[in-house]
Amino acid sequence: MPAAKIAPSKTAGSSQSPLLSLWKAYYESTSTRLKTIDAFLVFLMLSGIIQFLYCVLITNFPFNAFLAGFASCVGQFVLAASLRAQVNPANRSEFKDVSPERAFADFALGSIVLHFFVYNFLG
Amino acid sequence: MPLAYSLPSDLSPATVTNTSSLLRIIALALISGAAIASRLFAVVNFESIIHEFDPWFNYRATKVLAEKGFYAFWNWFDHTAWYPLGRVVGGTIYPGLMATSGVIYNVLHALNLPVDIRNICVLLAPGFSALTAWSTYMFTKELKDESAGLLAAAFIGIAPGYISRSVAGSYDNEAIAIFLLMFTFYSWIKALKTGSAFFGTLTALFYFYMVAAWGGYAFITNMIPLHALTLILMGRFSSRLYVAYSSWYAIGTLASMQVPFVGFQPVRTSEHMAALGVFGLLQIVAFAELVRAHVSSRQFQSILFGSVIVIGVLGVLAFAGLTYKGWIAPWTGRFYSLWDTGYAKKYIPIIASVSEHQPTAWPSFFMDLQFLIFLFPAGVILCFRELRDEHVFVIIYAVVASYFAGVMVRLMLTLTPVVCVAAAVAFSSLLDTYIDPVEPEVSEVAVPVTGGDSSAASPATVDGAVSSKKAKKAAAAVADASSTGIASGIVAAIGGQSKSPKARGIFGLDTRFLIVVNALGMLLFFVLHCTYVTSSAYSSPSVVLASQNPDGSQHIIDDFREAYYWLRQNTPQDAVVMSWWDYGYQIAGMADRPTLVDNNTWNNTHIATVGKAMSSPEEVAYPILRKHDVDYVLIIFGGLIGYSGDDINKFLWMVRIAQGVWPDEIQEPNYFTPKGEYRIDDAASPTMKNSLMYKMSYYRFAELFGGSQAVDRVRGQQVPKTGPTLDYLDEAFTSENWIVRIYQVKKEDLLGRDLKTANAFANGKKRKKSKPLARRKALA
Amino acid sequence: MLLLLPLLALLSIPFCLAAPSAESAHEQLVKLAAANNGLIKLDDNLYNLLTHPNRNWSASIHLTALDPRRRCAPCKEFDPSFTAVAKAWSQVPKPQRDNHFFATADFDDTMATFQRLGLQSAPVVHIHLPVEGDRRPASGRTAPIVYDFSNGFDAGPLAEQLSVYTPVPIPYKAPIDWAKYGTAVGVGLIILSGIRVFLPILRSRWAWAAGTVITSLVMTSGFMFVRIRGMPQSGANGQWIAPGYQNQFGQEVQVVSFIYGLLSAAFLMLTLVTPYQTQPYRQRAQIYLWSGVILVMFSVLISLFRVKNRGYPFKLLL
Repeated sequence: MPAAKIAPSKTAGSSQSPLLSLWKAYYESTSTRLKTIDAFLVFLMLSGIIQFLYCVLITNFPFNAFLAGFASCVGQFVLAASLRAQVNPANRSEFKDVSPERAFADFALGSIVLHFFVYNFLG
Repeated sequence: MPLAYSLPSDLSPATVTNTSSLLRIIALALISGAAIASRLFAVVNFESIIHEFDPWFNYRATKVLAEKGFYAFWNWFDHTAWYPLGRVVGGTIYPGLMATSGVIYNVLHALNLPVDIRNICVLLAPGFSALTAWSTYMFTKELKDESAGLLAAAFIGIAPGYISRSVAGSYDNEAIAIFLLMFTFYSWIKALKTGSAFFGTLTALFYFYMVAAWGGYAFITNMIPLHALTLILMGRFSSRLYVAYSSWYAIGTLASMQVPFVGFQPVRTSEHMAALGVFGLLQIVAFAELVRAHVSSRQFQSILFGSVIVIGVLGVLAFAGLTYKGWIAPWTGRFYSLWDTGYAKKYIPIIASVSEHQPTAWPSFFMDLQFLIFLFPAGVILCFRELRDEHVFVIIYAVVASYFAGVMVRLMLTLTPVVCVAAAVAFSSLLDTYIDPVEPEVSEVAVPVTGGDSSAASPATVDGAVSSKKAKKAAAAVADASSTGIASGIVAAIGGQSKSPKARGIFGLDTRFLIVVNALGMLLFFVLHCTYVTSSAYSSPSVVLASQNPDGSQHIIDDFREAYYWLRQNTPQDAVVMSWWDYGYQIAGMADRPTLVDNNTWNNTHIATVGKAMSSPEEVAYPILRKHDVDYVLIIFGGLIGYSGDDINKFLWMVRIAQGVWPDEIQEPNYFTPKGEYRIDDAASPTMKNSLMYKMSYYRFAELFGGSQAVDRVRGQQVPKTGPTLDYLDEAFTSENWIVRIYQVKKEDLLGRDLKTANAFANGKKRKKSKPLARRKALA
Repeated sequence: MLLLLPLLALLSIPFCLAAPSAESAHEQLVKLAAANNGLIKLDDNLYNLLTHPNRNWSASIHLTALDPRRRCAPCKEFDPSFTAVAKAWSQVPKPQRDNHFFATADFDDTMATFQRLGLQSAPVVHIHLPVEGDRRPASGRTAPIVYDFSNGFDAGPLAEQLSVYTPVPIPYKAPIDWAKYGTAVGVGLIILSGIRVFLPILRSRWAWAAGTVITSLVMTSGFMFVRIRGMPQSGANGQWIAPGYQNQFGQEVQVVSFIYGLLSAAFLMLTLVTPYQTQPYRQRAQIYLWSGVILVMFSVLISLFRVKNRGYPFKLLL
């Protein structure tokens, strides 16, 4: 979501040192597995931003194609973010029924369904 | 522990669980059977026939789908509807219903079961009602327990509020939509409870099915965001909510855009913006939560909190700006009229004219839901007592749906499931309390609460020989273990959630007996009520009418089909039939003739044209008829046998709709007497008497009564003895009971005279010198 | 009186059509309109003048009976709206303004006109279109158009619908209802200032529960029906049950929602409260009491329903 992406930059402008400490805390306390997912999330976000800018600045001509591309980014983003939340050990208590393996299976299924519709919508 | 009645003690827990699950399955099967059977009154009393109006179109479309395949159906351009405009069918319908029957048809034929497509269409709604009962069971189970689930399933299986739209033959979108609604809600609750993306995806898939099946999907589109927003405001944000909502929204929205009739609406119209807004909000909140988990600095958190609010406000402003700039379409009229209830009557008379869009008076609620309607608030209170996330959902659903059902009769359909669920929760709580055999001790000493172990309570009721009713009770007792057994009465509940130390239970056997007998009596009464209402009020196909002979036997009035088959047999294939839009689908379906307007009311002007032709004098109407190549005009007239849904009673809507487009030619007040009465007898206003509709309705009506006074049985008024004359139309056909009258539009006179003069000439009257000259010019 | 002179002059004019030319009539009407905030008070002669057979202007004529003896409540209700719209029209620039007139004809001044038109009820608004000039309707219609009161007596819809026939739309703006805004702001301020008092209520689940249940009770007893249809609180001669299945009065909402509420309260008492009673005989008494309440109220409800739906075959005690 575009709104979500503004959040970091806004906070960055207002205070510098807490941001550094945030980065530090994140870097130290997050497992490699989660960092991998985070990297994927950042990539998806950038891809979404680029598509959105293209749509706004240049053309939205094949509107369904734009929507399909953008929705695939957003959809994949939230699915990956869900996966991240589910496998995060800190959230263990919230997801009693969802083991990490199950979470990945859910993620895979969701992505397949998502991309089925994306493919159908590309036109 | 004293017991009110003895329990068999030699049953192992495994036997108990196995037996109760077997009984549950049997009960569900019986409920499904009852749900299907109670919808078959229409087939038994009449025949296997498609009902009403819209179903005829759905049936026709399904036939195309079954015969020509999916692609032909998708690209189907219907030349015969909205003559001469035509209609792109594939892009202007919700194809879910037809696709469902098409799939069933093909599967059955693949299994070498040559079932007629008509029978599939007729029986689709009863079949899906069984599935609805099952999904309501699943939904309620998540809310309370299996016993409440079974009760809810039984309630929705036979509640007239749902039967009214799902009897056999009522082949409409709602037939499958309520199942989809309940199942979508069930999987949403499940997704929220477990935080599983699998159930989120399932929600999205069923949401997609729902979008493809019914325009009412907007209800889901707004209910789920409303629930999510309420949870956030209550401070109940959790990662489970994030997972469930995000996966539903991301996949569901993309999926919903695959339906051509919906198209880009999910990103363009206001109805869908709430879902988008909550989606954005959830992303922000989730991000903030993530950051908060890593940093604990207070200053940073306050900044974060502030920026979340700022972003929220910016989002609202952006939405307002986009609406203002026209990027996002404002609320559509149909949706808007739910909030501003005077809106439709003012600006969209077509919507206001439909009888199912009228507000609901209380007898309809009672008729459709009987004792559920007053158990419903009790169930809502019980939801408040526990208030888990899913109970919040039911509460919101209850408020929203009861408002909607009050505004529009038709939306009773969305209220019925939640009433059944809430009533089942209340009813099973009552039974739980009074069937539990454990008696509290009389002493003042606090007794530990026994709710925890189900095995203590359950063996009692799971007896050997049990009917399905007993099975429900058994399940109720088993489930007593769950939440409701925990002590928190009204006193305890109001004073916070601390558990009351007081013992909870019922003394004596007679009290239990009284309550249980009372409850069973109410259930029995409900069954009788439902059977009566279903058989008497909701099982009429409205294509075939029934009346009673003096000796009590049934008399079938089959005028509609008689007339439609007359059209089919006696008119050329391309003869255009004009009628009021209500009958468009039936004419297309049964008579197979092109129509000017039909029930898909997409073109107001076209409908107003028909309204104008009907409400104008003959000589004004004739050019309109000729310009639209109308060969036959079909009207419904109930004056002879007292059929109140006829065109004279709908006439004012025709006038109103025509007035909306030609305000200076048609004025509603002209159709009333100076005293403001709507009359058809001698005192009728001249405009009324000259209107084409009046003339066609009462043409030669008085002759039928010989010399005696002719009476219109619907209006209860006396018809003038010298009836109207027709110059531009010929009576072509009138059905047995005069319900359907068909007139043929005369061609222009061969000699170039106008038809009035020609008629007068043929009747041997002298024509007046002055008039015809001007008329002839006007016609040429 | 300033008007007296032209009036006297008019009185002498016979009914024949040729007498005052359209131009002179027009001048006179313009003057009359300017004198009284854009609204002409009609008598029989002025009425004929205004509906001149050769008119090139249009006119909205409000036929009413304002005299208290006539006891016409709707007339009184509608009169301010028409006056307001007429006043709004007088703000229009002169060239357009003089092509459309607003006039009121009171029954007591224009009995002959009322008789000739065969009017038996009031208020009525007639719109006379021009007979000559470029605004002449294409259909050549000369008979007046009757305004449709289906949207109520408010000035807003009146102005909107009349604008179809005026040369330029009527610049009518509803007056700002200061009282309403004032109350809204006041209530808002009270809530804001008392936020500490209200916050516990907002956070209390039972406050919400009460709100929810009352809402759904009221809605399911046909409140919206009464509001949308504008049904009266009770019928004439004190009857409070409206006959007919698809009909109800305002009072029925209260009675029915009360019965529903009592029944569901009885169920709640049985489920939630009586099990806590530790004295066996008291508990027994409560259970019998509430069961009795349920039985009786349910019978009352059924008998009410039987009144509405005569064909209903079942009944309980009553």
